[in-house]
Amino acid sequence: MKLAYYPGCVAQESGRELDMATRWVAKALGIELVDFANFSCCGSGFVDEANEVLNVALNARNLAIAEKAGLDILTICSTCQGMLSLANLRLGDAKVKARVDAALKPLGIQYHGTVKVKHLLRVLTEDVGLETIKARVRRPLGGLKVGAFYGCHLLRPADELQWESPEEPHAFEDLLSALGATPVYYRGRVMCCGFPIQFVKEPTAMKIAGRQIDDAKAHGADAMATPCPLCHISLDSYQNKAARAVGHPLDLPVFHLPQVVGLAFGASPEELGLDRHLVSTDGAIAKIRPPAVA
Amino acid sequence: MTEGTISATFDVYRHDPSRAEPARYQRYTLELTPHTPVLTGLLRIRAELDPTLTLKYSCRSAICGSCAMQVNSKSRLACQTQIGPEIARHGRIVVEPMRNMPVVRDLVVDQKPFWRNYDRIQPHLILDPRRPMPKGRENPMSPEQVDRFKETPRCIACAACYSACPAVEADPAFPGPMALAKLYRFVVDPRDTAAQDRLVRIQPDGLWLCLRCHLCTEACPKDVRPSERIRDLKELAIGAQGATEFGSRHAVGFKESIRDRGLLDEMLLVRKTYGVSGMMGQLGQGIKIYRKKPELLKKPHPIPGVEEVEGIYAALDRPEAEGGAK
Repeated sequence: MKLAYYPGCVAQESGRELDMATRWVAKALGIELVDFANFSCCGSGFVDEANEVLNVALNARNLAIAEKAGLDILTICSTCQGMLSLANLRLGDAKVKARVDAALKPLGIQYHGTVKVKHLLRVLTEDVGLETIKARVRRPLGGLKVGAFYGCHLLRPADELQWESPEEPHAFEDLLSALGATPVYYRGRVMCCGFPIQFVKEPTAMKIAGRQIDDAKAHGADAMATPCPLCHISLDSYQNKAARAVGHPLDLPVFHLPQVVGLAFGASPEELGLDRHLVSTDGAIAKIRPPAVA
Repeated sequence: MTEGTISATFDVYRHDPSRAEPARYQRYTLELTPHTPVLTGLLRIRAELDPTLTLKYSCRSAICGSCAMQVNSKSRLACQTQIGPEIARHGRIVVEPMRNMPVVRDLVVDQKPFWRNYDRIQPHLILDPRRPMPKGRENPMSPEQVDRFKETPRCIACAACYSACPAVEADPAFPGPMALAKLYRFVVDPRDTAAQDRLVRIQPDGLWLCLRCHLCTEACPKDVRPSERIRDLKELAIGAQGATEFGSRHAVGFKESIRDRGLLDEMLLVRKTYGVSGMMGQLGQGIKIYRKKPELLKKPHPIPGVEEVEGIYAALDRPEAEGGAK
């Protein structure tokens, strides 16, 4: 399998551990990631707020880069996934397409709408398949209870993104089970992490993040795992503030999606960049039971 | 069991806040066909099993918006939700009152907070007294003008979106999806003369608290797509006032940060949003994060092809006036 790798900004900057873990897992599964240094930011939902057509055009340029190379795109961020997918969809509107094409044409860029955008979670569960994943597991995550946290833009608007049920998704939980972990089901798993308003009104954003972490804990989670580095910023990098907002300590480690996969495949914590988290993952890793010897 | 029916288990939230007893879930089991609406099931429970069950409904046809409630944790109209798929997915039907509003009794909530927020946006046409409505004829509108209303006239004010909204849950300042979708409807109405004023007044501690999580759009029984109308409002608000709020400063700052390098410059964005003095408030957390993630301070190199990005901006973007940091 060969895919155009779209890491997004955060995984190339403060969330570099996500990029490390993705590359490790892709290598372990024989997925060839093709880098394109000329990919731009997806706009992260903020550019869309400021100028919708500009946001579609930026992503049409990204899509055109992959199209020219004859590759589909792999994303590792719920927001990048949402923005690139929605650009594909919005280009179906003739008026939007005409404006975007008019902006791209003088730059020698053309996009014909052939590129599929797939998040790593989807590639792992659908294209690689859970049986292959199971066969690759070297250190099953037995004993570890993990609350998946999807991130809004991987699920909604569901009629546009056309993938999992927005209320009862199960891809992430199926993957966690395949890795030997016990998935934890809780209301917060499909809720918002608060990140989009972190810069608008931090106390409100932190209250929202704190609620979801609290909810995962109340349902018995030893850790959370997220396919979105922006959720990771809210849930991990700002967890101390989220704890202050809900009025009690939280202390719940939060993994990036490929980190849990890598752990089960036998990668070391250093290879997955686990030392870069603000909330230590040591306690969660210590809970993994070695499989019983038959 | 009668042919074609299934045994439907309802777990219904029961609470009378005027009494000391805590809330509880009461189980009722009925034989119903799979296509029976949840509302019909509840009315049968009330008629045949328990006359004390309190709920609100009227038209039974998804027109009046009275029977919005939580069915298996999703805010929706009970009359528009069939029991078959719910039983197939969850094995039972858990019925609860809407969230984010106080319970009056059982499935009935006090919608005052919802309506107060609706009042806040002045949900009526504001006309210029110097430009009276033409006498003797209606206001003709072009098809393009009608298109701008998008899906908003379909709203039946059922409050399902308000119940589903995490920003409402966390912060009473947020007006909620329905009020903002309605506000959008008046802002784009060619007869209304207060659009500019509406866009200015909704911004402080209001519009920009939307999380764009799209939970309202999932909950809406009429496909009004409130989250998308709120997005439209944000772009209109920036157009009307420039970047003056933290929310608009962040959106515009983000947009500009990409124009210059193609990738997000995390530190530059913090400065554009908060201003240099406002950054001081972020210093403590910034240091905590920097210790683990030193790339935070690294300025990204411009991507190869950044001139293409600049070309796209030149064709499609206009620079906004920036307001001072608050």
